[in-house]
Amino acid sequence: MLTGKLITSVISCGRDRSLMLNNQRSEKIKSTATKVSFLVALFLLWEFLPTWTQSDKIIPPFHEVIKAFWVNLWTGDLLKHVGYSLELIFTGIAIGILLAFVLTALCIISKRFNDVMDVVISIMHPLPGIALLPVVMLLAGLGAKSIVIIIIHSILWPLIVNALAGFNSIPKIQTELGKNLGMKGLKLIWLVMIPNAFPYILSGIKIAWARSWRALVSAEMVFGASGMIGGLGWYIYKTRFFMDVSGMFAGLISVIIIGMVVDELVLKSIERNTVQKWGMSV
Amino acid sequence: MSDLQIKNICKSYKLENKELKVLDDISISLNSGDFLTVLGPSGCGKSTLLRCICGMETPDKGQILIDGNPIAGIGPERLMVFQDFNQLFPWKTVEENIIFPLKFNNISKNKAELKEIAEEFMDIVHLKKFRNAYPNQLSGGMRQRAAIARSLALNPKVLLMDEPFGALDAQTRAILQKELLLLWKKFNTTIIFITHNVQEAIILGSKIMVLGLMPATVKIEQENTIPYPRMPETKEFMDLWKILYEQLETKRF
Repeated sequence: MLTGKLITSVISCGRDRSLMLNNQRSEKIKSTATKVSFLVALFLLWEFLPTWTQSDKIIPPFHEVIKAFWVNLWTGDLLKHVGYSLELIFTGIAIGILLAFVLTALCIISKRFNDVMDVVISIMHPLPGIALLPVVMLLAGLGAKSIVIIIIHSILWPLIVNALAGFNSIPKIQTELGKNLGMKGLKLIWLVMIPNAFPYILSGIKIAWARSWRALVSAEMVFGASGMIGGLGWYIYKTRFFMDVSGMFAGLISVIIIGMVVDELVLKSIERNTVQKWGMSV
Repeated sequence: MSDLQIKNICKSYKLENKELKVLDDISISLNSGDFLTVLGPSGCGKSTLLRCICGMETPDKGQILIDGNPIAGIGPERLMVFQDFNQLFPWKTVEENIIFPLKFNNISKNKAELKEIAEEFMDIVHLKKFRNAYPNQLSGGMRQRAAIARSLALNPKVLLMDEPFGALDAQTRAILQKELLLLWKKFNTTIIFITHNVQEAIILGSKIMVLGLMPATVKIEQENTIPYPRMPETKEFMDLWKILYEQLETKRF
């Protein structure tokens, strides 16, 4: 009698479990289906609405944009601009992260430096990079250098603010534990404090990635691209100037695709394999 | 495996310009391999006492000697196990949590040897199956086990335990008490174990101490001679329980 009950409860338990898994799976399918059908609807609307409303000179149908994207991609024009943009962005991000690392380290070592940094951050953090462009142009001239400086400015402050927030939120028990287990100075910072602050550092990098694109595209639109190839910002500006509306949208699509690819394939996968796996999400 | 002498330590904190005396003239003398359980009402300064021995705090007066030598700051010869479940490094697996401190304390540089040590201690605390699990995948009891294993692997002179089972359910607590006694018998480590649970203090300690409230002074210090394993139903257990319970001040500020 009891065994029978037990068996039925085990079976129903197993059924619950598979039901749950099924539910999870079907939820995932539903979620993906919703996203995909939204995109399809959007593309369909984009394809037919301009022709119906006879505004296809301003907004070309979707297939024309795709064609322009494809053609420009293979003739190399677009790729050249994409490559140039990425070069500027990665230079900016690399220098920005390095600077942020040094400045954050100084803030942690010296309380006085931290005080100075507080003031600098409250001045610089709310200042849009574009507003600084005239000053930067005067100081650094009309070259790629100025754009890299604007990118660095756009990402440096959020990187530092996030990293400092990370260091300030390290649980006391973790540093005490590190010391108790025999760690001191740099070892303690490197082996205990930085991993503890990592969730905040990573979210700073995610913000930096989005911000660097905004900085690049807007700087190039204001600034133009004299004496160089120019990045995607310049490409979009140029195509608009020559009324190549499809080309303009192709430029926009490139920005979106690169942003999504890096976010999904690089940043989110780093997040999944570190912060999420360790249960340290902010 | 060392003897510990605590001589007349005092400690006070400043609280809104008032001096708050936490520890008043506490002396403890432990032989190598003693298991001292410390009882006291919450807020009495039990943790402060332990933090002083660990070196996280410096007493205002008095001396702490290990094998006759005064302690020097914080270090791995006096290891603390906290109540907090967050005392493992969350980015390291159970195995790495044990190996990592061994590595930078130069216990061994040899990878195979380190793995062997970790293996031994994971086996003792029954976590072999979970060697590749991250702390957030473990239950509270497993995390405390891993923390104890990590501490013991470093072979400390004194193991300081600040209510390590305080946040566990009664059943897990009973299991871990048994395991801890086995570990203590195997390694003969000198242990100071803080608790506010009278029963736990009797089950574990070879010596029991009761502290008074604000400032903490030693009210009782006595040997616990009831043979292990100690059962709460026995008369000697209940008699001791009564004595200790009466000495525990229950009134608050």
